[in-house]
Amino acid sequence: MGKEKQAGELVQGTLDMLILKTLTRGPMHGYGIASVIQQVSDEVLRVEEGSLYPALHRLELDGIIDSEWGVSSNNRRAKYYKLTALGRKQFVKEASNWSRLAQAIARVMEMA
Amino acid sequence: MKRFWKKLRRRRQLDRDLEHELRFHLEMRAEETGDAREARRRLGNVTALKEACREMWAFAALESWWMDIRYAMRTLAKNRGVTVVAVVALGLGIGVNTAVFTIVRGALSFDPGIDHADRVVLVSATDALAQDELSRSDPDLRTFRSQVKSLISLSAYRFTPVNWSDESGLPERYVCVQMSSTGFAIIGRQPILGRNFGPDDERPDATAVVVLTHRLWQDRYGKDPSILGKTIRVDEVPRVVIGVMPAGARFPEDTDLWIPLVQGRADSHDPSLFGRLADGVTLAAARNEMDTIARRQVNKTRDTLKGPVMDVSPVLEMYGAYAMRPFLVVVLCAVGFVLLIACANVANLLLARAAVRSREISIRIAIGAGRTRIVRQLLVESAVLSFGGGLAGWLLALGGLRWFDASMARFPKPAWFDLSMNTRMFVYLAAISIGTGFLFGLAPALQLAKVDVSNAIKNGGHGAAGGTRGRRLSSMLVVFEVTLCVVLLVGAGLMIRSAIKVYGTPIGVNTANVIAMRIDLPEAKYPRPDDEISFHKRLKTRIESLPGVEASAVTSNLPIWGQLDFTFELEGAPPADKGRLPSVGGLVVSRDYFRVMQVRPRRGRLFTDSDEVKGSPAVIVNEAFATKFWQGGEPIGKHIRIARHGTPQSWLTIVGVIPDIHQDFRDPLAHDPLIYLSYAREPQRSTFLVSRTRVPPTTLVKAFRREVQSLDENLPVYDVRSLEDHIARHHLDIGIFVALFSIFAAIALLLASVGLYAVVAHSVSQRTREIGLRMAVGGTARDIAQLVFAQGLRQVVIGLIIGLIVAFGVTRVLRALLVGVSPSDPVTFLAVVLVLMLAGVLGCAIPARRAIRVDPVVALRCD
Repeated sequence: MGKEKQAGELVQGTLDMLILKTLTRGPMHGYGIASVIQQVSDEVLRVEEGSLYPALHRLELDGIIDSEWGVSSNNRRAKYYKLTALGRKQFVKEASNWSRLAQAIARVMEMA
Repeated sequence: MKRFWKKLRRRRQLDRDLEHELRFHLEMRAEETGDAREARRRLGNVTALKEACREMWAFAALESWWMDIRYAMRTLAKNRGVTVVAVVALGLGIGVNTAVFTIVRGALSFDPGIDHADRVVLVSATDALAQDELSRSDPDLRTFRSQVKSLISLSAYRFTPVNWSDESGLPERYVCVQMSSTGFAIIGRQPILGRNFGPDDERPDATAVVVLTHRLWQDRYGKDPSILGKTIRVDEVPRVVIGVMPAGARFPEDTDLWIPLVQGRADSHDPSLFGRLADGVTLAAARNEMDTIARRQVNKTRDTLKGPVMDVSPVLEMYGAYAMRPFLVVVLCAVGFVLLIACANVANLLLARAAVRSREISIRIAIGAGRTRIVRQLLVESAVLSFGGGLAGWLLALGGLRWFDASMARFPKPAWFDLSMNTRMFVYLAAISIGTGFLFGLAPALQLAKVDVSNAIKNGGHGAAGGTRGRRLSSMLVVFEVTLCVVLLVGAGLMIRSAIKVYGTPIGVNTANVIAMRIDLPEAKYPRPDDEISFHKRLKTRIESLPGVEASAVTSNLPIWGQLDFTFELEGAPPADKGRLPSVGGLVVSRDYFRVMQVRPRRGRLFTDSDEVKGSPAVIVNEAFATKFWQGGEPIGKHIRIARHGTPQSWLTIVGVIPDIHQDFRDPLAHDPLIYLSYAREPQRSTFLVSRTRVPPTTLVKAFRREVQSLDENLPVYDVRSLEDHIARHHLDIGIFVALFSIFAAIALLLASVGLYAVVAHSVSQRTREIGLRMAVGGTARDIAQLVFAQGLRQVVIGLIIGLIVAFGVTRVLRALLVGVSPSDPVTFLAVVLVLMLAGVLGCAIPARRAIRVDPVVALRCD
C-alpha cells in the first residue's frame, strides 16, 4: 500500500503528542479528539481516523491517559479520555522537545 | 500489572466498549457530514482497526492462538474426509516411528551394570594359538597384571552356565560367570547385601561361595535377606551365598550369579580378560601395550606369531546388540522414510485443499487479515492435525509394542532390553509430531499466503493458489513419495526373498510334533561316561511310556543349531601332519534320533541296539560327506577315525548314509559334510532331548519335567520348546527384519497410492471445465482417460526411476541380512516395478472414470 505521502499526513509519532495536547483542554471522546485536531489545524492535519483508536488504547495501557464512560453533548454514551498525572508530565516533555525540534528545523530551512 | 489483570477479566467488556466507541464515532461523523458511507470510508478498515486494538491489549496474543485453534478445529471438522485421511496417514507414520524408536532404543540400551562402563575393555588373544601359548605360560595372569600400566586392573572371567538347585523351587539353569576377585574392583559397585569374594575365596581349598545378582535374588528368593549364608547346589557343588549385587549389575551380560575363578585349575576353555583403561589412556595405547607384553610372554616358548597378538575392545561393543547397530540404523532410516512419505502425503492433501480455499483466504485478506496471521492460522491447522496424528500414533505405537512384546514372549528377552514407553519416548513422539506439523504445513501455508487476492476472488478459487506452481509442487511431492516408496519396497522385497529362501529351504527333518529340551548333567554327580549313558537310557524308558509320545532320543545339536567339530582321518588317505588333520562337523545322537526326526537312510542302515553298546564302531554320514569323499562310489563299509586332542581313536565303519540335515548356524543354505556318532560312543554332558509326539508337543512339557525330576530332582530342564519354535527362534532376526520392512513397505505403498490418487483426483476436479470443453469439441472417453493417466503415471514413472537408482545404491547396506539373494536381485526390482505400476494405475483409474463421466453441459456451466 505504498502510496505517496500527502500534505497533512501526520509525521510518525506526532499523533500521540497531538492527542495529549488536545486532552490538556479537558476530557474528550475519540471523535472529539479527531475533530479538534482537524479544526484547530485549519483542516490541514487530517487524522487518519482508523489509527486514532489503537493509539488511544495504547496510551491508555501505558497509563498516560485514562478513560471513563460519560454522556456526550447530544446525550449519547461516549468514552471520554483524560490525561493522567503521568500523561501531563509526558506531554510537557514532548512539547518542549517538539518546539526545540521545530525551531531547529525552521532555522535550517531559513538558512537558504 | 494490576490494570492488565483487571482488563483481562473484562475481556468481553472491552470488546463491547470498542464496538460502542466506534459506532459512536461513525454516528457522529454521519451526522456531521450527512453521509454514512463517507463516515465509514474515513474510518477505514474497521476489522483491521479492531484487530489492532485487540492486539494492543496485551493478552491478545494468547487469545488469538486459542481462536486459531478453535477455528482450525471447525475447519477440519467440516472437511472430514481430508482430516481423517491426514490423521490416519500421520498416525501411521508417527506410530511406527515411535514404536520402532522404542524397540531400537531398547535394543541399544545395553548396560553391563559397571561403573565407567565406557572405559572397561575386554582383552583377548587374536588367535587360538596365541591364546594357547599365553594361558600355558601365564595361567594366573601374574605377569600380565604386574606389567600392565595402561589398565587400572586386569581380571579374568568365563561364562559357565550352571544347574541351580535348592529347596525353594524347581531346579533352574542359570548364567554363571566365573570371575577373579579383582573383577569386582572393576565393576565398581558394592554389594547391597553381604560381601564380594576376595583373593581368599579363590584358593582351591577355600569354601565354595557364590554372589547373586539382584535379579536372581528377587525372582527366586523374593528379596529375602536371610539368603545370606544359605547353601545352594551349583552344578551339584554346595556353595555358600555370601552377597547380593545391586540391581542392574550383570557384568558382562545377563549374568545370574558369579563364582570365584579358582586359581590353577585347568578347565575346558580359557577365561577372557577384562580391565579398565587408566585415566587418559586411549584404546590404541592399551592395545599396543598389551601386544608388547603378550609378545614378550609368548616368545619365551615360541616365536612364530605374526601380526598383533592381543586385541583390546570396549565391553559395550562386545555385548548387547552392538553388532546389530548398523541394521538398526537402517531400520530407523526406513521408518523415517515412512514418516516422510506420510508428511508428503498430508502436504499434498493440504495443497489440494489450499487451491479450493484460496477464495476463502483471499476474502480474509481482503477484509483485513494480515498475511503473517494467515500463515499462522494455517500452521495452527497443521499443528492440530499433527496433534491428532500424534495421538493416533501414540495409540498405534502402544498397540504395536504390545504386539511385538507378545509375539516375542515365546523367546527369552535379555534383562537389559527395555521396551517400556518412557519419558524419552514421549519426548520423541512429541518432537516428531511437532516436526511433521511444520514439515507438511509450511509449504501449503506459504502457498496460500501468496494468493493473489483480486484474482482469486474473481476466479472463485480456480487456478489461483492451485496454479502451475502449486501443481508442480504437488507433483514433486508425489514423485518424492514414490521414490521413497520404491526404496522401501525394494528393501522389503529383498528381505522377503531372503525369508522365502530361509524358510523355504527344507531342513531335512519333519519339524511338526517334535518337542526339544535341554538337559546338562553336572560332572559332580555324573562323573563317568557310563553315568550319563545310563541316565539317558532310564529317561528314555520313562518318556516313551508317557501317553502321546512316539519316540525319544538325545542329540548334541538340534537341526540348524550348529554342530560339534571333529578332526578325522579317512582310511587310505595320505597321512596328514598330526596338527593338520581335516575337520568335519558332526553330531552325537542316540539310537532313535532319526526316527524322531523322520529321516530315512539313503543307503545302509540307521543306528540299532547293537550300536548302543560302548565302543560300537558304527558311524553314519550325510550325503554331502559321501559325495565329497566318494563321488558316487559306495561309502558303506568304508572306515574313518576321529582324533581327540590330536590322538587318533579306533577305526569306525560307515553303516549308513542319510539325506542332508541343515546344521549350519549362519548359512541356512549350506550343505556341509556331517558325521553322526552314537551317543553310547561319545556321551555328552550337554544334550537336547527330542521326542516325537502324537499330541501337540507343548501339552507334554509338565509331564516331561516330572519324569526328568523323578530321576534327578536337582536336574533342571530348560529351553523347552517345540522344534518349530526352536527353529523360529534361530530365524528370529530375519523374521523381525522381514516383518518390520514389510510393514514399512505396506504403509509406504498405501500412502503413496492414496497420495497419487488424491493429486490426480484433485487435478481432475480442477480441470472439470477443461474436460467438459474437450468433450464438447469431440474428445472421446479414451482421450480423456489418456489425459488423466498420462498426467498421473508420469509422476509414478519418474519416481520409480529415481527410486530404483537410489535403491540400487542403498540396498547393499542390507547385504549382511540377505540370504541367497543379491542386493541388486533383478526379480525383486522387477516385482517392485510391477507392484508400483499397478498401484499407479489403480490410483489413476478412479479419477479417470470420474473424468470420463463428466457431463460437458454441466461442466461448462459450473462457475
